[in-house]
Amino acid sequence: MNPYVPILVIGAIGFGFAAISVVAAAITGPKRYNRAKSDAYECGIEPSPQAAGGGRFPVKYFLTAMLFIVFDIEIVFLYPWAVTFDKLGLFGLVEMMIFILTVFIAYAYVWRRGGLEWD
Amino acid sequence: MLNLALHVGATKTPEAVLFWFLAPLAVIAALGMLMAKKAVHSALLLAWVMITLAIFYIAQDALFLGIVQIVVYTGAVMMLFLFILMLVGVDSSDSLVENIKGQRPASIAAAIGMGGLMVTLIGRASLGRSAVGLVAANTNGNVQGLAEQLFTKYVWAFEVISALLITAALGAMVLAHSQKVRSRTGQRDLSIARFRGDSLASAAGLPSSGVFARHNAVDVPALLPDGSAAPTSISSVLKARGDMIESAIFELQPKEEEEN
Amino acid sequence: MLTAPVLNYSLLAPILVVLGGALLGVLVEAFLSKAVRPAAQLAIALGTLVLSFAQIIRVRNLTSLTAAVNSVTIDGAGVFIQGTILVLAFIALLLIADQDNFAAQASAVPGSEEERSAIATGKIQTEIFPLTLFAVAGMMLFPLASDLITLFVALEVLSLPLYLMAGLSRRRRLLSQEAALKYFLLGAYSSAFFLFGAAFLYGFSGSLSLNGIAAAITGGQGNDVFLLIGIAFLSVGLLFKVGAVPFHSWTPDVYQGAPTPITAFMAACTKVAAFGATLRIFYVGLSAAQWEWKPIITVVAILTMAVGAIAAIAQRDVKRALAFSSIAHAGFLLTGVLALNKSGLSASLFYIVAYGFTTIGAFGIVTLVRDSAGEVTDLNRWIGLGKKSPFISGMFVLFLLSFAGIPLTSGFIGKFSLFNAAYETGNITVVVVGVLASAVAAFFYLRIVVMLFFTEPTNDSVTVVIPSIMTRFAITFCALVTVVLGVYPSLLLNTTQTFANFLK
Repeated sequence: MNPYVPILVIGAIGFGFAAISVVAAAITGPKRYNRAKSDAYECGIEPSPQAAGGGRFPVKYFLTAMLFIVFDIEIVFLYPWAVTFDKLGLFGLVEMMIFILTVFIAYAYVWRRGGLEWD
Repeated sequence: MLNLALHVGATKTPEAVLFWFLAPLAVIAALGMLMAKKAVHSALLLAWVMITLAIFYIAQDALFLGIVQIVVYTGAVMMLFLFILMLVGVDSSDSLVENIKGQRPASIAAAIGMGGLMVTLIGRASLGRSAVGLVAANTNGNVQGLAEQLFTKYVWAFEVISALLITAALGAMVLAHSQKVRSRTGQRDLSIARFRGDSLASAAGLPSSGVFARHNAVDVPALLPDGSAAPTSISSVLKARGDMIESAIFELQPKEEEEN
Repeated sequence: MLTAPVLNYSLLAPILVVLGGALLGVLVEAFLSKAVRPAAQLAIALGTLVLSFAQIIRVRNLTSLTAAVNSVTIDGAGVFIQGTILVLAFIALLLIADQDNFAAQASAVPGSEEERSAIATGKIQTEIFPLTLFAVAGMMLFPLASDLITLFVALEVLSLPLYLMAGLSRRRRLLSQEAALKYFLLGAYSSAFFLFGAAFLYGFSGSLSLNGIAAAITGGQGNDVFLLIGIAFLSVGLLFKVGAVPFHSWTPDVYQGAPTPITAFMAACTKVAAFGATLRIFYVGLSAAQWEWKPIITVVAILTMAVGAIAAIAQRDVKRALAFSSIAHAGFLLTGVLALNKSGLSASLFYIVAYGFTTIGAFGIVTLVRDSAGEVTDLNRWIGLGKKSPFISGMFVLFLLSFAGIPLTSGFIGKFSLFNAAYETGNITVVVVGVLASAVAAFFYLRIVVMLFFTEPTNDSVTVVIPSIMTRFAITFCALVTVVLGVYPSLLLNTTQTFANFLK
């Protein structure tokens, strides 16, 4: 038998279970509505139509995301290095240390300039 | 067309099934990305296209590329996209006024022409030929093979990439980070201020809302031991906005208490 | 166990020094106090360039194909271009050091209270220095890189800091930010083209190195369609960087919007580096396929010369005019790429030196012409400036004459030897168009000369500010080079003759 058939079967079962649950809950569940139930958050505060600042994020988010990407890409290089660590020997370790230390300079800059503080 | 069918027939069946299942979805999502009115919808469709591509990469034995596609693109870059959408404002829309008359039809025609040209050229060049070198490249595993190239043959380019990463970090800081002129008030400063204040009543912090009462919503005051409401337990923001329900109705009535 | 790759640090030293200086600059940003940063950064940057140039002198006669595991070729032309970039960057850095041209705090919204307070407290963005050094490192690697991956990485290393620095102008900040965004988007787009082309060339040859591609072309085994697509897309990426028509549209906007010292740096050094790489790719990698790309590049060269020269006439802004003139010069330099012989290479090397110094000098003078709101780039307000400050105006005229290729300036010798090389290969069309374009351009330059000296000055508040000692040195040095190379061209021509060779 094709090895992909069980996977397809599991996929179908999973999809079917989700679909049946949603439909069954809609049919069998009790329906008691009140104002609190229809609130977005049941904490007593009605969500205002827009957050302060017109629903726009401050630029701080961009900075965080950008720094995340920088170190994310560093990790991308760590992955193949770690996988072949045994074969690479000492020179691989040295190469990676140079790379990490260099990027660490960027980290030091960001840290000292307060780029890691939220406000 | 015949050629195309032959080519697909040559791949393993599961891969062909996967391809014919996901490829139309990817194309539809890509078209939707171009045509969606709202930027957020475009971004989500783009994420879908990226995930589909990652699946294709992995299905074609390019494991590393697939993982990177998910970790970097669908993870980090999509997050950046969405943050930037929020930065500009979700509701802001592009101006559809054409600065150069006839630019839109011209560019659509050019894009279709370019796409058609590429598809024909690449199709002519690659259909009917079998790809070579993949098996050799993946002998020791895809990631391992890549690592061997990266850390021996292309080690110089690899080390120079660190300069790119530093430039990116510098650029993000220069363009987006403003250093504060005054020092911010930290937890330590706040704590000192509470104890140095006139009254020590709030030295341990203000009471939380709704505690010991029948409700725990943020706009319901906490009740003090004597059953009276504690107005300080409600955020001043709510008060200012007028979102506070009249405190008195939540107070315990002494009479009820006696009955119990 | 894999064998360790061998890097020849001694041969890579010029690049390593610049990278090291840049890292040191970032550390200074991180750990030194605000007060000492500007001086420290300037010292580090200039020192780095000098040190790197000393390394260039040391390795000048060495050649190697394996300095960095086949990724970098050290040869005469490469070392010469590296040295040129270093000297030009040194001069440009003297202009950049005049911090008055850069935003006090780039992250502050233009016109905001935060910006005003940043200016009032005398903040400056000293990150410019390490960024410049990173760009220089990329520029030094780009013309030496001999495989497509290293080429691409070098291209990005040189471009990324430039995108950023284009947006850091102190005045007319929105224009500057717009320029940075345009440059970034179009640059990213052209990088994608470059990468696409590289992928197809790999598909064609099964090799990423220029020599491997050349061997595959000669072998004739590969898939020709892949070769054609590869050459086409790789060329698009390169032609964008050198600013050739029809990929030039970013040039006027970016040159106008960027802070003028950065424009000077970008116009001179990027063009040198990009032409260095273009020459290497076409001479070493693709010369065997010359019948495939020569007709197209010929058309591009002719278009570039014509559009650059003609469009410059219509410009009312001096920075835009110089941008179009730099486009025309890219066209002239492309004739050197087309020549594909030693005299073409030698002439190209001479031309990039002549062009580089003249460009920095011209933009250096643009930084000096000001009114109370900052630089005045509107050409109509330059009318009669020659009567107010004849010396600076005279130098500007000298640079313009060199751009036009008038005898006794470096530009004349450069153009003459380039056209001579093109003529030798029998490419008469290009030579004719080149000469005609030079004539058109000369008309435009002479019109500015007339405006400066032979028109009555208006009652305008435009003045030439007294330059700082560094700017003064930079402009004077550029003027000196322009004259000396025009009068004693053999000083440099002999050197370019010796160095004009690519190791294959």
